[in-house]
Amino acid sequence: MISVSDLTKRFGSKIAVDHLGFEVRPGVVTGFLGPNGSGKSTTMRCMLGLDRPEAGVALFDGTPYHDLKRPLHEVGALLDAGYVHPGRSARNHLRWLATSNGIARSRIDEVLEMVGLTSVAGSRLRSYSLGMRQRLGLAGVLLGDPHTIILDEPANGLDPEGIRWIRDVLTHLARQGRTVLVSSHQLSEMALMAEDLVVIGQGRLIEQSTVDSFVDRYADHWVRVQSPTAETLVASLTTAGGEVTTVAANTLDIRGLDCVAVGEMAAQQQMVLHELSAQTGSLEDAFLKATAGAQEYTSTGLAAQ
Amino acid sequence: MINLLRSEWIKLRTVTMNWVLAIIAVAFPLVVTLLTAFFSGDDAGFKTRDLVSVLTGTTVVAALLCGVIAAASITSEFGFGTIRPTFAATPKRVKVIVAKGVVVVLATSLLATLVVLIGWLAGSNIASSRGATIDLTDVPTAVPAMVGVVVLTALMSLAGYGFGLITRSTPVAVSILIVWPLIAEGLVGALLSVVTGNDNIGVWMPFQAGIRLVLVESIGDGGPSRIVSGGYFGVVALALVALGSWAVNRRDA
Repeated sequence: MISVSDLTKRFGSKIAVDHLGFEVRPGVVTGFLGPNGSGKSTTMRCMLGLDRPEAGVALFDGTPYHDLKRPLHEVGALLDAGYVHPGRSARNHLRWLATSNGIARSRIDEVLEMVGLTSVAGSRLRSYSLGMRQRLGLAGVLLGDPHTIILDEPANGLDPEGIRWIRDVLTHLARQGRTVLVSSHQLSEMALMAEDLVVIGQGRLIEQSTVDSFVDRYADHWVRVQSPTAETLVASLTTAGGEVTTVAANTLDIRGLDCVAVGEMAAQQQMVLHELSAQTGSLEDAFLKATAGAQEYTSTGLAAQ
Repeated sequence: MINLLRSEWIKLRTVTMNWVLAIIAVAFPLVVTLLTAFFSGDDAGFKTRDLVSVLTGTTVVAALLCGVIAAASITSEFGFGTIRPTFAATPKRVKVIVAKGVVVVLATSLLATLVVLIGWLAGSNIASSRGATIDLTDVPTAVPAMVGVVVLTALMSLAGYGFGLITRSTPVAVSILIVWPLIAEGLVGALLSVVTGNDNIGVWMPFQAGIRLVLVESIGDGGPSRIVSGGYFGVVALALVALGSWAVNRRDA
């Protein structure tokens, strides 16, 4: 269990993290979402004591990170896969990390095997791709077999197979009862992987909930009807308060009415329906709606032209 | 702490640049000393004092290179970002700073000890074989100067480490480490001499004081003794490390 309370971090006059508080429960993957510059990475650095917060505290099973005796056994963190010396080999990188926490050398070979880097363990890291460095970073996370895992954008640079692999790994770790907090911009991946969400914007908490309730709350909901005589239904739907959009020939999207109401109207008119379904927007739609106005950087040009 | 020392030793010895610098630091004084012993050993005037002077004089360069190794041992951590996993693995930062300092100072001191031992043993044998009379008891300051080489190297490493902690930048730390003793202290010493009217004030410049540790000639310039000047430089080097530790502990990693 991770408990963050009242975390505040300033860089000069800019408040990067603003009295942020949330909890991360064990047994599920928790996604940590926010627009660029919203303070996700700063929050993670503050949680690990790497950045010095002005106020607040992060507790790992009730203990501040600073007070953990052998932190790699408690918390595995990967903040940036680029934090390696390019002249060292993967094995030597893991050796100094493992030795600092009294982890046996045999464990290094185990984690290298787990992440699929055994065959290149002796190669210098300057020859590693970003995807390989991500795998090495995950090996470092797993070294101490920690019960809490914190990852900042772990899928960056991974190919589709790698993305699926990391999703499976994190889901597996969470199912083992570990606490897993993952930040990512890949919302489709997050939708597949996470059960809980912590969403922040401009350093403040926007929402903490399950993925389902977040999408339910922020995403658009509508009813889709497909019928050879769909146009005959438009007038009665509008009269009943529905907002009707014709999206294709014989296909209507109706907002403001639910499936039951639309189905009953169709039945009254003895219409043949090819489709009557409840539609919900994606996690991406919900995220964009929830964080509207909380973006640090917004574009107004190219996409609209 | 033992685990931390071992971890820092792995870091130090798994970077090729450290080995390159260490080899240069060892090879430069040895090559110059042994060539001098070989080519000047048959000169009638070549004495024990000359051999020891060449050996200790050239090791000042080696000590500077060891300072560079020490500075880079911490600045490269900031440069490549490995300081973050380091502090994540050991949240008590002072422990890391102490462990890294101990490892780098011990390693460079060992290098200096090797240089002095090999340089003296091989140099004296070569010079003797060329006809020179080499006897350590001829020069009472020879042993203190050779011990001074090891102490100077340790302190120079400590100072370099301190600059590294303070600046977090390899180019800046190395530039200061070279410019301060070789240029800045001369200029400041000359300026202070003019202002104070004391021609001898330059001996109190920290690195100049440190270099007095390796002087073979009797120190008769009215300046501090070998032990006092070495202690003074040591205090300055420790102060740099203390200031750097305070800064690293206080700042974001």
